[in-house]
Amino acid sequence: MFLTEKKDILEIDESLKKYKKIGIIGCASCASVCLTGGSKEVADMERHMTAIGKDVTFTISIDEPCDKRVLKEDIRFVEDEIKNTEAVVVLSCGTGVQTIGEFIGKKVVAGTDSKFIARTEHIGKYDALCGGCDECRLNFTGGVCTITLCPKGLLNGPCEGHNGINCEVYEDKECVFIKSYELLLKYSEEENLNKIFNPRDYGKLAVKSSKI
Amino acid sequence: MYIIPQIETPVSENYLVFEENLINLLETIEKSGLNVNDKNPEKHFPDLILEQNFGVNGLVLCSDLIKRGCGGFKTAYAFSMRDKNRISILSDLITLKQIGIKDIIVSEGLHPSKTEFKTAKPVYDIDVLGFGLTLKSRLMSDFSDSNGNNDGDVTCNNIDNIGKFDFFNFGVVSGMTSFADVLKVKKLIKIGADRIILNLANRTDYSAENLEKPLMIDIINNIKSEKKEVFLYVKELSIGYSLEDFLKKVENLNIDGVIVKIIDEKANVFIHKALK
Repeated sequence: MFLTEKKDILEIDESLKKYKKIGIIGCASCASVCLTGGSKEVADMERHMTAIGKDVTFTISIDEPCDKRVLKEDIRFVEDEIKNTEAVVVLSCGTGVQTIGEFIGKKVVAGTDSKFIARTEHIGKYDALCGGCDECRLNFTGGVCTITLCPKGLLNGPCEGHNGINCEVYEDKECVFIKSYELLLKYSEEENLNKIFNPRDYGKLAVKSSKI
Repeated sequence: MYIIPQIETPVSENYLVFEENLINLLETIEKSGLNVNDKNPEKHFPDLILEQNFGVNGLVLCSDLIKRGCGGFKTAYAFSMRDKNRISILSDLITLKQIGIKDIIVSEGLHPSKTEFKTAKPVYDIDVLGFGLTLKSRLMSDFSDSNGNNDGDVTCNNIDNIGKFDFFNFGVVSGMTSFADVLKVKKLIKIGADRIILNLANRTDYSAENLEKPLMIDIINNIKSEKKEVFLYVKELSIGYSLEDFLKKVENLNIDGVIVKIIDEKANVFIHKALK
């Protein structure tokens, strides 16, 4: 799931000050799970827009607004209303906001801040475990990502700042390299203990729209 | 015991005044006999380590110290992976080579969230292992071919070229409190690190029992068995007692020396000792 947080409502209001006729689109996938763009949040936003004197032309929740195929299907239900709309508040991650903006060709306003790919512990408790770095090393690290879980994103061992157990930055958390070491021993993967990783290839990250 | 002062380049002080004070400091240390290399008389360790943090550019200071005729004193340049990407590091290395500095010390570096620049984006383009690998085997050249493609392998399977490029004495700061540190030190030696500097700076307790932990002694002996140099790194303010007492506590360890981080070049443990 991609984690989002609600934006400060004053920023949304400021972005919409030139516009009167407002549409609201929610995301029934990730943003719905993290309570930033589900049907309840869409209804809340509709009430707020009405309260500040806007005309809400339509509201809709789209299953996956980041998927153009799904968006194309679902947006047909409000096709006519969009024509009569000046700006759309999108309650989804940044990918959804941009996909919708490009598709409908209208002003879009992000209603959330995009955070990270998250594991859900429970509603309100999320952890970042994967940074989508394009060069997954989990098969060599005992299954923990040192790039994401180490605040310095190191590849080849702990920094000089840990205290033997905990991270220099997140002092209440175990250093991921110590965890990795323990897991490699547990799985008897001694051959991976001495692996040296090449520096990361950031050239790959520069081409994010690559075909897979 | 060989003692080396390490100091960050100045922030507000005029760098020419700073250099004058540094020269006085080095002369004081020399007179006090603290940097006598009695264990390894054949080796010429640095007399001073200039650390690049957010102060005056350390390369300028290194160059200037040499120009001032301080050739008798050997300066090492310390920087961290936090602040420089591989392009910037290459630029520094070219400069260091031209001005005649051979000793470099690298660390991953204190995370910005632990500094006064809490909102700064840290670089960490490469880690110290990746830096050493490219320094010692590729002279910092890129891993990609002329078309921008690399071999796609995230692990390094070929270290045949290690030692091919030996322009610098490559020192690395490492932890020494976990088995993960033991592994990292082994890898550092494998990729050609010349010096390992074991970090004691984040400790507050320098009691004898803390300084003679089996793991620490194992790491030190492993480094020495590979014929590499090993130093301890401490902050003068963390020692808690006199420098002499600290040196007595570590004199039985199989180390080449101690690097002492000082805050002020005019008032520090070295000057204090000389005054006594």
